[in-house]
Amino acid sequence: MGKKHKLHEKGKKRRREDGYSDEEENLELEGVPQASTQNVEEDGDKTTPKDQYGAFDYRSQMELRDDHETRPLWIATNGHIFLESFSPVYKHAKDFLITIAEPVCRPEHVHEYKLTAYSLYAAVSVGLQTHDIIEYLKRLCKTSLPPGICQFIQSCTLSYGKVKLVLKKNRYYVESDFPDVIQKLIKNPTIQECMLSPNEGIVSTEKQKSQAIVFTSHQAQMAGGSEDSKTDGKTEGDASNGNVKEDGGVVPEDITDFYDKIDKADEEEEEDKNLKTLSFEVNQDRIEMLQKTCIGLDYPLLAEYDFKNDTVNEDIKIDLKPSAVLRPYQEKSLRKMFGNGRARSGIIVLPCGAGKSLVGVTACCTVNKKALVLCNSGVSVEQWKQQFKMWSTATDDMICRFTSDAKDKPFNAGILVTTYAMISHSQKRAYEAEQTMNWLKDQEWGIMVLDEVHTIPAKMFRRVLTIVQSHCKLGLTATLVREDDKIADLNFLIGPKLYEANWLELQKEGFIAKVQCAEVWCPMTPEFYREYLMGKVSDQKIKLLCAMNPNKFRTCEFLIKYHENRNDKIIVFIDEVFALSHYAKTIQRPFICGKTGQKERMAIIQNFKLNPKVNTIFFSRVADTSFDIPEANVLIEISSQGGSRRQEAQRLGRILRAKKGPVAELYNAFFYALLSQDTREMGYSRKRQSFLINQGYAYRVITPTQLLGMTEQQLHYTTREEKVQLLEQILAASEADMYEEGISNERGASGSHRRMGNMGSMSGADDSIYGERRKGSKKDHQHFLFKKFRS
Amino acid sequence: MLAFSTQTLTCKNLQEYLRSLPKDTLDRLYRHPATCLAVFRELPELSRQFILRLLFVTKPISQVLLATWIPQHEPGRDLGDIASEHRQGTQVLLDMYIWQEVKDHQGNMAIKLNNTFRENLKVAVLGGGKPWTMSAALDPDPHQRDIEFLDKYAMDRWESVLQFLVQPGQGQTAISRDAMLTLLHAGLIESSDESDNMQITSSGFQFLLLDTASQVWFFILKYLETVTERGLSLVSCLTFLFKLSFSTLGKDYSMEGMDNELLTFLQHLREFGLVYLRKRISGRFYPTRLALNITAGQNKGTIDAHKHGYLVIETNYRIYAYTVSELQIALLSIFSDIEGRFPNMVVASISRSSVRRALLKGIGAEQITSFLRQHCHPQMFKNSPVVPRTVADQIKLWELERERLEFSEGVLYKDFMSVHDFSLLSNFASSKGVLIYSDEKQRTMVVTKKGHPAIKLFWKEAQTK
Repeated sequence: MGKKHKLHEKGKKRRREDGYSDEEENLELEGVPQASTQNVEEDGDKTTPKDQYGAFDYRSQMELRDDHETRPLWIATNGHIFLESFSPVYKHAKDFLITIAEPVCRPEHVHEYKLTAYSLYAAVSVGLQTHDIIEYLKRLCKTSLPPGICQFIQSCTLSYGKVKLVLKKNRYYVESDFPDVIQKLIKNPTIQECMLSPNEGIVSTEKQKSQAIVFTSHQAQMAGGSEDSKTDGKTEGDASNGNVKEDGGVVPEDITDFYDKIDKADEEEEEDKNLKTLSFEVNQDRIEMLQKTCIGLDYPLLAEYDFKNDTVNEDIKIDLKPSAVLRPYQEKSLRKMFGNGRARSGIIVLPCGAGKSLVGVTACCTVNKKALVLCNSGVSVEQWKQQFKMWSTATDDMICRFTSDAKDKPFNAGILVTTYAMISHSQKRAYEAEQTMNWLKDQEWGIMVLDEVHTIPAKMFRRVLTIVQSHCKLGLTATLVREDDKIADLNFLIGPKLYEANWLELQKEGFIAKVQCAEVWCPMTPEFYREYLMGKVSDQKIKLLCAMNPNKFRTCEFLIKYHENRNDKIIVFIDEVFALSHYAKTIQRPFICGKTGQKERMAIIQNFKLNPKVNTIFFSRVADTSFDIPEANVLIEISSQGGSRRQEAQRLGRILRAKKGPVAELYNAFFYALLSQDTREMGYSRKRQSFLINQGYAYRVITPTQLLGMTEQQLHYTTREEKVQLLEQILAASEADMYEEGISNERGASGSHRRMGNMGSMSGADDSIYGERRKGSKKDHQHFLFKKFRS
Repeated sequence: MLAFSTQTLTCKNLQEYLRSLPKDTLDRLYRHPATCLAVFRELPELSRQFILRLLFVTKPISQVLLATWIPQHEPGRDLGDIASEHRQGTQVLLDMYIWQEVKDHQGNMAIKLNNTFRENLKVAVLGGGKPWTMSAALDPDPHQRDIEFLDKYAMDRWESVLQFLVQPGQGQTAISRDAMLTLLHAGLIESSDESDNMQITSSGFQFLLLDTASQVWFFILKYLETVTERGLSLVSCLTFLFKLSFSTLGKDYSMEGMDNELLTFLQHLREFGLVYLRKRISGRFYPTRLALNITAGQNKGTIDAHKHGYLVIETNYRIYAYTVSELQIALLSIFSDIEGRFPNMVVASISRSSVRRALLKGIGAEQITSFLRQHCHPQMFKNSPVVPRTVADQIKLWELERERLEFSEGVLYKDFMSVHDFSLLSNFASSKGVLIYSDEKQRTMVVTKKGHPAIKLFWKEAQTK
């Protein structure tokens, strides 16, 4: 548990070193409510005594309940929750915990969650009440609740989720079910200024009956399928509850009762007929001020979009195709979003390959208003367009792409797909692009889908928000982790995390591939290791030495041959361009790096998909995210970016898409991380893997001696001479050769000075931690003479 | 360097132990049917077959004839395997003096069954003779103890021994001087100075990680090594142990007819939890599960089987231990970091440093994993292997990590006057293949110990020139 702290501190420290002033930090904290700064973890750790082993001793703070065996979890004073996955009440507890807490790790038997201010904020925003959370936790816990936990939950939830900002018929209303809260608000002078007609005061209306949203196409609905499927869903749930009662007979009744209640809390609010909703209308121009004031008062406004009653914005008339069938977890995540018949903003976390795009497309179809999709590369813009065409009735002319390469005419399009970089670009644009941008700014977007939302830093995101007006925002990602711990900001910029899927469970149910992860330890050859240890070469060369270790090369070649013989499709990741081209040319396989043009990329990927002779592609880190290569089932990682957990998870995501073919095999996808033994790669790999290990993945360690048949294969670099030659090549390689895709040391701001042509391939500004940038492309064309003239 | 010198704890099984005993001790042991039967049932299958075939044969049997009893061909088996099984089967019998080699009248080698063994095994198998089990002809005990009570008693006693091992400094009163002496003798603890301050040794740590049956057996073996010093007879103690191993759990046995020696022995067994005596004068005792099957190497699990496994081991190197026992937590802390303690559960995690800490104490990776395996929570048995492979592999790798340096002895040459001298000598050494290391800049080189005289000679000659 201590580890998390250290990470956090480290993050802070790094920010300081990078010259981030405190001012800037404060600026980032703006727009984040007070209560979220509370940290139950630190408080809890301070008050907990330690035992003789230096462990936190919670025994004095809680009492074991008599029927503890039937209850599934423990809560530590620092907000960490441990859940038995084999408990009969697991199903009940899991759904509840994922709503109120962050999952820390979810391996097979015991899951760990953590209560945070953000997770509780998310819980209230989907309709849970403070006393429900505490009551249900009490019932699930094996012990009495430790001190501090109740207070923490109360302080984090009491003021959250009480007031909503609703857009109805193009007029903004502040709504609340709590008279005292709304009374408090209107007494504030600033808020009074924001009110459209202060004299009118508060309007009280009968609570509207919310209608459950159904995520199937209307055609299917007409066929009568959807109503059934909905009720099916319900009865299924009930049936399984029943089952639990039957087979165990041990589930304490208070838990099941409460579970049902919680389950329906969201959808059946109307049970209380007397409940009145209080609201007042506000001036549209003053929305931002209102939001700030409310946050200052510690009543952050939840943005909800009543899209059904929005008659001002036209429907774009798209629908899901009947063939589009949502998987249970996709439906569950969408139900969190559209729980009360309105659209909430928030983030949905699904593993790569689990069908995030379908969730996005379905959300767009459900809202059925103008939709804006933002992603981080030109390739994924294309892929989103294809996804829309595949799952929905949207036609070519309805979908507009806005990238450096493809600029469709947007004017009658309902869906616009573009990249973050295009929108936030602050330099002069081409006329055509300028036109599109103006159009884009004028629109009132119904929904904004943010793909790979983890990659965008707060600054860039703010810029996007100032340009684009949208009623609700849906963030999609697989890996809500950042090495710089800035994830938390997203909670208040986009919305709370609505849903996070459990990787291991999806894998068990066959929705994503079953992956065997392995790290292969390749010893450094003596010559390479000497060079490595001498430390006389640059950092880049050190990386190259590790990446091009002949033993690694041979292992990689062997693995490629082995898997090609099994008819597998293989992708290989190498960060260093020099090593990338060397590997690819020596083994004679195609490769894609930053320099590769959009057309060539598409051609290679098409060949990989369809041509049985192309079974292996080498990639630089351009393909880390949102490169959809569903055919690939073997991934070999030669080198990587330090200890980036996210890169590891994103790369694994490339092979996660569920595989067709024999299910009988224990594993149907393979992930090999090749490590040069005794180098810093070993240290990095620990850190890189931590995210996946927490998701329940297990890495096996393999040494080349364990790879059977490796000695019989004809491989490169068998003799010492060849190896020494390779070493000389590396040492002779010019710095320019290697820097092409290096990490820039400047901060994101410089990214937007480049020519437009480069923007499409950029993977989004990523701070300096992990990003791709081309160097010197302009310089090549500059003659020294011109330089003279310019200065 | 100290770490490399630690020894692994070896625990002999019954057979190995008996094979190490002198002939006349064994001969005296075989005078009791109980011992014979116990010995018999622990033998390999082939050896048992030999014995049964010879049980009623009084004449020596020639080796040639014996050879025909072994199946020559068996589908799917290697001939070498059969031969080696045969060799082992016969060697055991010879080592334990169950077989005697004699020359028959033609001078050929022949085999004869030990007479004492034969007679007493017959009694055990066929009955007759004096009753050899402990008599149970007793009035019903007014303080009848049930099995549950006995199990609890036995485990309490045994755990107090282990507890003492974990924290020898504390609660020395918990175990008697006899038990402590045995632990000392076994090398599980050592006194760091002249005072009574005891410290656990590396063998002690390894002992702790064994399963209970092995622990008891190892402990008893060590105890038996010291019985003669205590004025007890090894044979009578062993015989009593064998008798005990045939007793029934939950039944009381009479102490009648036991001499003082045996009564002392019984007191010791009571101390370790192998038997239960309510009072010395009650005249009856109950054997506990620890004593049952003590000699049965094969049926280990039986003692631990009824105990609930309590460890949940995750692929992320976390351990969740469902226990309140201080002893178990102390054991866990030997190779893992305890992170949090709930009223009925302990959260711990295995890390490189925690495993290295254990490795430095002389505990092997195999011992850690086998400990984890033995105490797995029932939930873990759904998986195969029970202990996640990554965890087991990683612990193994952490162990191997420490064994990557190779040591080779050598002789250092340095302070050469000139580069020429240096290269002359190092070239010569490498041409002889005895050069281990050379550094031109420092002008130092190391040659193997073997090569040293030749190099020395060469150098002297070169100097004189």
